[in-house]
Amino acid sequence: MSFIFDWLTGDKSLKPLPPKKKEDLPYVKEGLKFNEWKEKNPNTHKWRNRRWAFLIFINLLFIVSYHMGLGILEGSLSGSRLLGIYLMDPYNSSQELVISSKTGFISHLTTNFWIGFFVILSFYWLVGGRAFCSWVCPYHFFAEWGEKVHDYILKKRKIREKTYDITVKYVFWIGFLVVAFLTQQLVFEDLNPVGILSRSLIYGPGLATIWVALLLAYEIFGIKRFWCRYVCPIGVTYSFVGDLSPLSVKFELDKCAHCRDCQDVCLVPHELWFVKKGAATREVHFTGGDCTKCGLCIDVCYSGALSFGLKDWTTNRWGYKIATKMLKGKQAEQG
Amino acid sequence: MGGKPTTTNRRQFLKATATAIVSLTVVGSAAYYLRDKSSVQKTGILRPPGSVDEEDFLYACIKCGLCVQICPVHAIKLADWDAFLSYGTPYIDANVQACDFSCDAIQCAETCPTGAIDFQIFRRAGDRAYEQLLKQYGGQIPPDVNPFEIQIMAMRRVANMGKAVITDPQQCLAYHGKGYSGPLGKHHALLRPPGSKERIDIAEVHVEREICDLCVAYCPLGSEAIELKEIGNGKYLPEIKDGCVGCGVCQMLCPTDPKAIVVEPREKLA
Repeated sequence: MSFIFDWLTGDKSLKPLPPKKKEDLPYVKEGLKFNEWKEKNPNTHKWRNRRWAFLIFINLLFIVSYHMGLGILEGSLSGSRLLGIYLMDPYNSSQELVISSKTGFISHLTTNFWIGFFVILSFYWLVGGRAFCSWVCPYHFFAEWGEKVHDYILKKRKIREKTYDITVKYVFWIGFLVVAFLTQQLVFEDLNPVGILSRSLIYGPGLATIWVALLLAYEIFGIKRFWCRYVCPIGVTYSFVGDLSPLSVKFELDKCAHCRDCQDVCLVPHELWFVKKGAATREVHFTGGDCTKCGLCIDVCYSGALSFGLKDWTTNRWGYKIATKMLKGKQAEQG
Repeated sequence: MGGKPTTTNRRQFLKATATAIVSLTVVGSAAYYLRDKSSVQKTGILRPPGSVDEEDFLYACIKCGLCVQICPVHAIKLADWDAFLSYGTPYIDANVQACDFSCDAIQCAETCPTGAIDFQIFRRAGDRAYEQLLKQYGGQIPPDVNPFEIQIMAMRRVANMGKAVITDPQQCLAYHGKGYSGPLGKHHALLRPPGSKERIDIAEVHVEREICDLCVAYCPLGSEAIELKEIGNGKYLPEIKDGCVGCGVCQMLCPTDPKAIVVEPREKLA
């Protein structure tokens, strides 16, 4: 059990570095007060605007391709074809593989299926796994707005946020595969708001669209980002890929002022655990697989401590076990 | 921060896990219960040509809709939640737009990435037809024979979507010795008549028949699937033969209401 927790917490299980001295904080170095320094470096919406534009563009491309017969991006987010190259939803395909290896249908799967499966995994490995969520997923787009409304309601009513353990998403990831295996149905696909919304946008809404609306309402009035954070196995699949990905958000401790504004805007704040004063265990940290590469933290950062960067192999979770052991040994030597 | 997760964390994790397992069990049992209701036997929906058996189809189809997009006559639609677990899977509503095989190469099957609509059966049928043709002409196909057309007919023959049935002979115009005069279809739909190269809009074509034989005249499989038989006293009735694959063109064109001829899906017949 403790190994699983170690694996899930990554660099977190190392001994933290000593907290930064006041004179090392960037605004003190510049001889400014915190608020003056904040005003001097105003926020931008560079990455957010790029991201929303891209998300809308991709989903519009699906719609336009179908209705105008352009043939550029056909299908839906469950499975599609971009200029003749097949792309498959990795979790959908995983369920398919689990069931078809049981029934023997696996030999019927076409070459295009395998191409689509591996192309999508390779592509998201390159761009950082959960980048799918914030840059492509149409449900995320609505949920992001829903999150804002949710925060507003809670602030107004002065209700405390209710949260669950996010590790439960791994249980759902395995669980839906088990359910698929037992029932021989793509059960998750019947509930999947990504697929439903994508199909509703392309082929027109139906009864199933109501389910997506209900889910969104629950996220607004009930639990914040309920589906994306605690359930969605597509996101988990991409988070596994993202763990191995070379691209991530890079954090440089020496530039950080520990204002934690980035954690306020972050869609998955647990990935920015190291920005808290005295929490960082290394000089440079990279966000883990749950990071959606949305760039909101980069937009808000006053000192440029956060940026998109390429990972050092020792900082990803899979390579972490060896790296952490080595570091732990070093720390023990240094006392 | 930084240290190992506390027991509170673990308790929270176990609590969430228990909730997850309970909800997964509920969802899984619901799916298992609905499986019977979702079958074609119950919903009666017609699958695209070459669809694998329903047992496999329900999981093999990933609901991407590529078949919907490729179909040149827009015959394929995606089912909604009223078809239960068949939600998002393709079907053909033969009353609105039947499969007229005018794409020639069964493109919905060719485009399907999972093989839920299996192209292999069509490829094999086409290959077999070509081999037979070579054998028939001793290795040299004469220039006046178009092997492509023969292959296409061979592919149509294995489509096996279902079978047409006469619901009620009393409904049939030919049974009463009546003719038909009017538009080929009451609403807009596409059809490529046998032997023609062009698709027509059935609502814009006027037909005159002394004895109504629309189901027979426009059948993509021709006389091997359906023929008009005289049953005496100037009365006729279409006879459905073994060659019928259940494409639904006869159902689409039948001018009576309710339709005198409808297609029963393959699985419903079994």
